[in-house]
Amino acid sequence: MTHFAFVATAYALGLGVPLAFTVAAMTRLRSAQRRLAAIDPRQRRGGGP
Amino acid sequence: MAVTMDAPSQAAPSRQGRSLHRFANPGRFLRLSKAVFPWLMACGWLITLVGLAWGFFYAPADWQQGDTSRIMYIHVPSAWLASAGYFSLAIASAVGLVWRHPLADVAAAEISPVGAGFTALCLATGSLWGKPTWGAWWVWDARLTSVLVLFFLYLGHIALVRAFDNPERGARAGAILALVGVVNLPIIKFSVDWWNTLHQPASIGLTGSPSIAASMLWPLLISVIGYTLVFAALVVARMRAAVMERRIRGLLMARATTDAATDQDAFA
Amino acid sequence: MTRKKRRLVLLLVCGLGVGSAAALTLFAFSDNLVFFVTPSDLAKNNPGTRSVRLGGLVEQGTLVRSTAGDPTARFAVTDGTARVKVTYRGLLPDLFREGQGVVALGAMQPDGTFKASEVLAKHDENYMPKEVAEALKKSGQWNPASGAAPPPASTWNTPANNPTAKTGS
Repeated sequence: MTHFAFVATAYALGLGVPLAFTVAAMTRLRSAQRRLAAIDPRQRRGGGP
Repeated sequence: MAVTMDAPSQAAPSRQGRSLHRFANPGRFLRLSKAVFPWLMACGWLITLVGLAWGFFYAPADWQQGDTSRIMYIHVPSAWLASAGYFSLAIASAVGLVWRHPLADVAAAEISPVGAGFTALCLATGSLWGKPTWGAWWVWDARLTSVLVLFFLYLGHIALVRAFDNPERGARAGAILALVGVVNLPIIKFSVDWWNTLHQPASIGLTGSPSIAASMLWPLLISVIGYTLVFAALVVARMRAAVMERRIRGLLMARATTDAATDQDAFA
Repeated sequence: MTRKKRRLVLLLVCGLGVGSAAALTLFAFSDNLVFFVTPSDLAKNNPGTRSVRLGGLVEQGTLVRSTAGDPTARFAVTDGTARVKVTYRGLLPDLFREGQGVVALGAMQPDGTFKASEVLAKHDENYMPKEVAEALKKSGQWNPASGAAPPPASTWNTPANNPTAKTGS
């Protein structure tokens, strides 16, 4: 492969950057869901998210 | 601090109607997005992986660039999303400014970090492509410079919407910045046609046939679709989290005020 | 007029103002926004000994490389109407060839040649597999060294190109 280091770095970034965003977003979402479920009165009536 | 947006119990009775109306749409967004989000994220990643694997292993190399041309399966989608993401940021900003829709403010605040990430990816992969192909990591031609300006607009928006104690004021300031920055989008698009640049003109356009072999075009289109779905899924996930966080803040504040009231009663 | 409508009109008017300001600015500075000048530009206004970027195609049949001592290259850069002879001492980028677009940083010399201190290869918007390029060259439909654009991509997979693609790989 010509210039393999450049291509491999680009693919590592191309997978790594969206993956990091995905992990960060999922962690934030999970945490928000958990905290909201703990305090939301509507959650018990089944009207919450 | 005036975080009244998502706390209906805190609103004065006379403003109850307006406040409830403002609350209704984020609630509907949470319900709708709950069903769509897992599919969006799963399909996005699946299609992205197919597109990248196709591009890396099976698509033919370019006759003169060799395998370096495989960087396009990342560079082109991220460049498209850098611009398309900014366009969606501008639309959310316009809706937020004109119609004062609370969900639009949430969308704008959550689009810009994702857009900045994909713009950074576009700049980094472009640099990795430019060094072996052109012979330079970076040149100050109109295309590269205008995309760098786009990156700074994103960073400015990220900082501005979070710079105010009052989130509504931050959203308004950020929206104005985002809308002024829209002039940069046609500059990015047409820079390669208007001025002599080192960057080549577009290979794919709405008019005219693409100047790229079909065996390379298919994996490119697939990775563009995949990355776009991942981008959308990321924005939806962040918006869901943001709406819930606002709701949490509102509920905690409402609880704090009622607690304070009972404390006051106890002291009285 | 409702408040929303007033805000919308205000937004559109501001957009028009910002847009035309940007357009005027870009139009006024368009000479400074170009990354390189063409040989015709050089012929029209002589930059003297000022350093400029010269861009164009490497003219077919003009490239002379010498590998004795430091690698040096002599070639002509053309834009179809004017041409400039360029000398360059140093390593050329991989993509450098006759018919390829290049951008050379340097200055005009008293003898009318352009002495480059840096040469960048400019890639065009065409992407094609090796087999297709070979087939197009063999069938005489395209000569990369001439600098002419290849035939449109939609014609690349015609049966005429396929036999060579099969035997080639």
